Amino acid sequence: MDTKTKYKEPVNVLVVGVGGQGVIMVSKVLATICQERGYQVKQSEVHGMAKRGGGVFSHVRYGEQVFSPTIPKGSTDVLLALEWAEALRWVNHLKPGEGTFISDTQHIVPPFACRNRKRGAEAGYSRETPDQILSRIKDGFALDATGMARELGNERAANTILLGILSTALEFPEDTWRDVISRFVPPKTVDINLQAFDQGREWARTVHENSDLAARHRRSEKLAPAVPGPDRDEMSDFVQLDINPDWCKSCDICVKMCPERCLKLDDRLKAVLTEPDRCTGCRICEWLCPDFAITVHRTPEAAQAAVRV
Amino acid sequence: MTKTAIKKNAGKASSKNAFDVMSYLRHDLFPHFLCPGCGHGIALRALMWAIHELEIDKDRIAIVSGIGCSGRLGAYIDANTFHTTHGRPLAFAAGLKLARPDLEVIVITGDGDCLAIGGNHLIHACRRNLDITCMMLNNEVYGMTGGQVSPTTSEDRYTTTTPLGNTEAAFDACRLAEAAGAGFVGREVTVQTPTLKNLLKDAIAYNGFSFIEVISDCTEIYGRKNDLGNSPEMILSQKSQMRPNSYGGVIVDEPFRPNALPTGVLSTNARPEYGETYRNAMASAKRKK
Ligand code: SF4
Ligand code: SF4
Repeated sequence: MDTKTKYKEPVNVLVVGVGGQGVIMVSKVLATICQERGYQVKQSEVHGMAKRGGGVFSHVRYGEQVFSPTIPKGSTDVLLALEWAEALRWVNHLKPGEGTFISDTQHIVPPFACRNRKRGAEAGYSRETPDQILSRIKDGFALDATGMARELGNERAANTILLGILSTALEFPEDTWRDVISRFVPPKTVDINLQAFDQGREWARTVHENSDLAARHRRSEKLAPAVPGPDRDEMSDFVQLDINPDWCKSCDICVKMCPERCLKLDDRLKAVLTEPDRCTGCRICEWLCPDFAITVHRTPEAAQAAVRV
Repeated sequence: MTKTAIKKNAGKASSKNAFDVMSYLRHDLFPHFLCPGCGHGIALRALMWAIHELEIDKDRIAIVSGIGCSGRLGAYIDANTFHTTHGRPLAFAAGLKLARPDLEVIVITGDGDCLAIGGNHLIHACRRNLDITCMMLNNEVYGMTGGQVSPTTSEDRYTTTTPLGNTEAAFDACRLAEAAGAGFVGREVTVQTPTLKNLLKDAIAYNGFSFIEVISDCTEIYGRKNDLGNSPEMILSQKSQMRPNSYGGVIVDEPFRPNALPTGVLSTNARPEYGETYRNAMASAKRKK
């Protein structure tokens, strides 16, 4: 990037993430630095359903002269992603063959990825691993910045770690970065953020010296689970439905109210469980059957101890 | 910890404390006589669930019911049950509670039983504030006798006695009970079964007269005549016509749906419980003699 110091074309940095992560904060820090270095800067942002974990992205363009506030597809110089799925969503906006890719590998699983509500079911989140992505990109970094920041003592400093890596990809002096970051973060957290910045920079530098692909993916010792699961000891996967056809009056309530649509009326118009694999054991059919015809058992012991007629 | 101890705990957590409605029913009378899709069955389960969670011994429960589809529910419960005359369950319950204050007296009644035939008993029961729980199942119609108009039938609805549509205004039973001085007043729809269970739990635990209106559906006799859809559609539309009156304990107004009826705990009125007042008065009279 050093060859580009006389910018004819603006430098394009795309910052992406999920609502609440600090995409806007990161892009403001960057825009301020560019301004202080005397460049023209244009920044534009889109908040998806930010509060509900929707995507947020921000375009930052700087150079001698910048006209459009948005980055054309395929001309991003640096993609900075605060969340893994968002990184994948935007990866094809990178300049083919020369863009820099920086991403946190933490997963924030959106509710709509949880199609199967069965306990322990896998979410429909992207299956691509950081190694697969990095192997396709010339200059890529993937790291569990959130985990690193947690080890430092404040998860929210993850963005600053990423800024540290970004600082090695752009040509601005380190002091300007430190100065602007200290101005933007809450006063109480300046120390930890500067520490995080150093860590990010340090890690990026060692990776630059090391051409090994695996080194470009930093994993934390202990990855926090993407979706905190239920306490396994209390909640088992066991579900057993007892339907008493003699009491069922074919009212259709259970069929229509089951969230997983796993019940049907058979040819005698009695309720039957047709999709046992989809049943989550939520008990809604049991609660709403006016005829006490359905009982849901969640443990083998309960199924055995149940009063049957 | 020894192995046997672990086993004991596991058994306790899974089977002993779990709610199994079957252990509260008289199985020989099933399937019950209610029509397919009648919400009364759901309300019955919620009541049994509340009793189970309050850990009240079956022998300490006295269910008093009147006449009508709702009145029949008492017969299905495996506890002390008392099927009384039309409109009078509250009067019977009052006598029972005064004579046996140790019993948990619960009245199951319907909209016609409670507001028309037994309307007077209701307002005086509210006024006295005896520790009784009254669960009124409101399905807006006299179902058992063939679908006549009831005091809670909404305006313009067709019943066998209002072939041109109902021209009378309906009672708001909760406001009636509140005005008459009931200690605890609440309302819930059947489709919100766990919420209904929690409301009933609070009502039973309340020391004083508690009145719960359960919005139930009569699909066969009322819904069919008024094109209200089949049972799943009907219970869902009932829910959409209501609004919770509080979120997390904060009472809220909903300006966008002024006609939606509030559900949840609607009012409480802390007053001396009549049974205690009565016994104290008797005791002091005896002392004076
Ligand atoms: S418990 Fe009943 S309502 Fe829930 S998913 Fe299973 S069948 Fe459907
Ligand atoms: S809710 Fe009960 S009575 Fe109605 S169809 Fe289902 S099992 Fe049968």
